[in-house]
Amino acid sequence: MIYDKPRFTPGGDRYILIEFGSEMNLTLNFMGQALAKLLEENNQAGIIESAPCFASMLIHYDPDVIGYDNAVIYLTELISELGPSDDIVLDSRLFYIPAVYLDPWTKEAIDDYRLKINNDKVHDPDYVTQLNGLENVEQLARVHSGTEYWVASLGFWPGLPFMMPLDPRCKLTAPKYNPPRTWTPKGAIGMGGASTAIYPEVLPGGYQIFGRTPVPIWDTSKRFDVFENSICLFQPGDRVKFVPCDMDAFEYYEQQVKDGSYVYNLIEYQKFSVKNHNDWVSNLDVNRRF
Amino acid sequence: MFTVIKTGLETSVQDFPGRIGFRDQGFPPSGPMDSWSFRLANRLVGNEVGCAALECQYIGPTLAFEQDAVIAITGANMTPKIDGLAIPMWTSIFIKAGQELSLIFAKVGVRSYIAIAGGINSQPWLGSQSTFHKAGVGGIEGRALQKGQHIDWRSVELNNTLINRAVKSEALPDINNDKAISINVVYGPNEGWLDEAGKAKFLTEPWKLSSKSDRTGFRLEGPTLTFTDKAHNKSPEHGSEPSNIIDQGYPVGGINLAGETPIILVNDGPSMGGFINPFTVPGCEFWKLAQAKPGSQLYFKEITVQQAQRLGREQTEACNDDKITNQ
Repeated sequence: MIYDKPRFTPGGDRYILIEFGSEMNLTLNFMGQALAKLLEENNQAGIIESAPCFASMLIHYDPDVIGYDNAVIYLTELISELGPSDDIVLDSRLFYIPAVYLDPWTKEAIDDYRLKINNDKVHDPDYVTQLNGLENVEQLARVHSGTEYWVASLGFWPGLPFMMPLDPRCKLTAPKYNPPRTWTPKGAIGMGGASTAIYPEVLPGGYQIFGRTPVPIWDTSKRFDVFENSICLFQPGDRVKFVPCDMDAFEYYEQQVKDGSYVYNLIEYQKFSVKNHNDWVSNLDVNRRF
Repeated sequence: MFTVIKTGLETSVQDFPGRIGFRDQGFPPSGPMDSWSFRLANRLVGNEVGCAALECQYIGPTLAFEQDAVIAITGANMTPKIDGLAIPMWTSIFIKAGQELSLIFAKVGVRSYIAIAGGINSQPWLGSQSTFHKAGVGGIEGRALQKGQHIDWRSVELNNTLINRAVKSEALPDINNDKAISINVVYGPNEGWLDEAGKAKFLTEPWKLSSKSDRTGFRLEGPTLTFTDKAHNKSPEHGSEPSNIIDQGYPVGGINLAGETPIILVNDGPSMGGFINPFTVPGCEFWKLAQAKPGSQLYFKEITVQQAQRLGREQTEACNDDKITNQ
């Protein structure tokens, strides 16, 4: 649901969490993005930075400059100034990201977890398949790669994209690991809740994993042109389309990444219209899977 | 310049408050875990409190100085010596070219700070010299100090007024080896997901600090917590485990219920994720975490946001120049 009024809760002495609602949809993400932009423009003393996510936003403030109560009053006023998101049309880059689904590397990480942490853990692709009433893991790969993903936010680790499917027919849900994995292969693709992510590095993780890309999504040494302005490949408002590939193609791209000849496949001229998207979604039969 | 003779366990360059302003790209602040001791170390040598200095963890380094310098050592007691002779902590000291500074294992506390008048000279990365080890960025080559490295500091005029400066006793953090440590926490942002019994349990039972703790997270071992209806009955977009939530920004200090294991997200911790943070450790309490040995029993006590902010201000004041005396 979308809350009538945003909810504010403190995170210690320097943070405030604003919740706009308790579901994942573009409207809520746009509220966060728009508020982040407004905050940057206003440059209010004491507001240090913000980090919007799917349905909420974290504010970092300096309590020596602005108190909690005054920060909440200020943020409430700012939120009331936000226009309706339906009118929003914005530049949105589209990235094609090669991915091997049902790959051996994520399987190795899951096997290791089963061996050392929880032997009862059902293999992630099987688990997500069962939970979502899909026929088999091959359909999981089809459904998961059947949509463009909306980059709602970057977080957890530098450059890690939190993404939501733009096609509701491809929406999948899954719980997060309990306890989390201690390691995840670099480039692993996975999901938790209804969010999809790519792991930029070998990292602990809580998402169910079932695919891997050879393409780096962050690069501190900036070996490729796409990292000229930021070491993170993505920015909020980008879209990602996974392109299923086989092991041969994976190795081919991997080699190109290694020798620096890989060309990032992205389209930069498109605009994303929330209204057009909503109109399209409203006419879909969301129960029909790919 | 000094040369790293022995690295210690993990000695890194940090500055305060660290890498701020990049949380929306997923960066943690990094910076010193015990910023109280860190700031005082800088104060002692006449630096700005945020100047880049060294954080030593568990076992300190041995450094050979090739130029005269004024240094100060604060935080955990790693039995600091110059050329084998014990030197006082919390005091600015002149070290001559050719002398060797050595620290060993932490006898009291865990993290020690070495400040040098002028401050460590290294290339800032995204606006900060702080090392973010796991990502391999900041500090010196993105890593902890390596054997044989030569490290520079910004030159500053050394004079007698910089030496023998000490911290007034009222401004010192009480770093000790007590097994039981009381840590203040603030409710939120997701306290509504724990039921009253769960919250009460969290605030009364002891939590053992796991040895699997580092600058990304402090893992706690203790009882199983219980949740409200809100945590059990929610849309599948959250994930079905009770501690699952639609991914959200994490405050630094958030006590993150990753599955059922609470992990305190500290300086190099994740910025976002899909688990709840029912409580947050405010900045003023981080020095206690920084100096707590694995196996310690942590007891959490609830305070208000305003109390936490007041404690934070008191700590900042404890790091002011008027807390330094010339002996």
